[in-house]
Amino acid sequence: MRAITYSRGCDSTRLARCEKKGIVEVVAVPLRSPLANRPAMRFRATIENVDTFAKIVQSVEKLQKRCIIRFGEHEMRIICTGDVNEGGIQVWSLAKKGEKSVLSFEITGLTATGRNISVVQHILIDVLRHSEVERLKEPMCPEPDVHILLPPLGKLRTVVERLRPLAGEGVIFRANLSGELQLAVNTDNARVEVGWSGLANPAMSCGDKAKVASQGEDDSDAKDPTQMHGVLVSHKCLLKFLNSHVISSTTIACNVADAGGVLTYYIPAKFDDGM
Amino acid sequence: MSEDQPRVLTASVHDFRYFAALLRGVNFANRASVSITPDGFTVTVEEARCLTATAFVFSHVFDEFVYNPDAARPSQRSQPEDDDDELTATAFEIPLGTLMDCLNIFGTAGLAPGTSQKKKKSQADGDDSDGGRGSGRAGGKGKGRADADDVSGNARLDQWFAPGKGTGMRMSYAGPGHPLTLLVAEESGGPTATCEITTWDPEPRLELAFDSDAVVLKIILKSSWLRDALSEIDPSTEKLTIIGNPPPPPGRAARSSAPPCFRLKAVGQFGSTEMDYPNDREVLETCECAHPVAFTYKFSHITRALRALQSSLKASLRIDDEGLLSLQFMMPAPRRPGRRSQAFIEFWCLPLDE
Repeated sequence: MRAITYSRGCDSTRLARCEKKGIVEVVAVPLRSPLANRPAMRFRATIENVDTFAKIVQSVEKLQKRCIIRFGEHEMRIICTGDVNEGGIQVWSLAKKGEKSVLSFEITGLTATGRNISVVQHILIDVLRHSEVERLKEPMCPEPDVHILLPPLGKLRTVVERLRPLAGEGVIFRANLSGELQLAVNTDNARVEVGWSGLANPAMSCGDKAKVASQGEDDSDAKDPTQMHGVLVSHKCLLKFLNSHVISSTTIACNVADAGGVLTYYIPAKFDDGM
Repeated sequence: MSEDQPRVLTASVHDFRYFAALLRGVNFANRASVSITPDGFTVTVEEARCLTATAFVFSHVFDEFVYNPDAARPSQRSQPEDDDDELTATAFEIPLGTLMDCLNIFGTAGLAPGTSQKKKKSQADGDDSDGGRGSGRAGGKGKGRADADDVSGNARLDQWFAPGKGTGMRMSYAGPGHPLTLLVAEESGGPTATCEITTWDPEPRLELAFDSDAVVLKIILKSSWLRDALSEIDPSTEKLTIIGNPPPPPGRAARSSAPPCFRLKAVGQFGSTEMDYPNDREVLETCECAHPVAFTYKFSHITRALRALQSSLKASLRIDDEGLLSLQFMMPAPRRPGRRSQAFIEFWCLPLDE
């Protein structure tokens, strides 16, 4: 089967409001088609774990009011250009191609009295052209120097918030392979460094493992566990990310010191319940 | 900076909220001058050359307070003819707001959340309702209001001594040209913050000499009585007049027509407000006034004292014959064995020429 990708701009605020206990059915249908007739749909998916979906959408909403949803054969990606936020949710099925463009949510839930209730929401969307979709590229993520598990995001956010008046050009985000993380800011008035220790450095991808394995032989490439790798990040961006932490309390950040300096976050969501 | 270097000042405390409350009381101008003596240090700020405020932070506020004035100037030890004061006081200037930001880096320097919310709420109430001024004034005199204040006052005290909740701090200063180094640790094993705060050479400060022998009005009252009154005055008010009248002679029942011992009169764009304090021992602990007096001050200067009013127990308000206003705020004593002297904050404010 052809893996067709449709992308559309969609109001994430409205998406976020669709959090209900129950099952959500997401369909893309032509506008003004009676939904009962089940018109030609480009795709249809049933979300079993509505909580997680709502949390993901809420997280995305914190970052950007409009987002691009890219439907693939087996996944749906929510994309905020600039930042990429991926939510590989579950297997999605594709429906037939339609003319026009709403994303409709059929939400079934229980009322306070215990009766079944069904809510249908149509969200107007803009369908992106294929050429535009082609231009959506995942950002380049160089092989990170350090993977580190961040401290509880709520606490980290408090500190980052408090650093705002002290952060001149940005926040220097440093970590090493000994579980140490430092945030440093500089202004004329003060130099402040906040340090955490005893954090975990998780082993990440297979490629990383291979690299670690090969390190034993290649001493020149061996990483000094106490060497700090740091990047300078914008305070605003860092805080924006930390504000979107509803989905999970722990996050892995990986730090790249050399190749341009990119700070990447992996947000481990809990998809373990039968998905 | 090496650890072995002799320090002019090393001070540490396991819970710095009390210290932070003292500093917060004068945190309305960023540039503050700090003067260290063996007994502790003072933090002084000024505004518009007519208002100065000093927080007196005694050494017993800290668990450890080591002051070694000679550490930074070994060369001057060959000059024993130097004035003693010159030798024992070390002065520098710091950005006070930055120091507060550093202390509060983990969000733990503030008042207990309940307390601040309560205050915000009461302010909002006053602003929202049109009759807020009048009813607030009546309520301010009521007994019920006084009880409520006692409760919140105790809550404020408790939060300084709540066990195991504090954030530790270690502060050191190596001498002129060195930053003030601050180490803040939330809990053992938790994150630590190392802050180096720029210091500057001291500059001459405005000296407002209060003439204690020429006091024309002296009022001592609970801080909350004054705080509530000031919070209820419209913020757009420009001038505040403090009016004092001699209390009626003892033994005669106070007539309602008698002029009030202590009155605050605020004049602003939307009219004027007058608040009278009755000469009741429950309200005015002390009221000394020989002749009727009235002096006018810039309201925005007086409101600078609100933070200090919020964290203090009692306020002493004195005016000398030149109209210079002295406000002393007695802070709750830190509960430390064997130490009795209380920390306080003092404001001096020049009157407006009229």
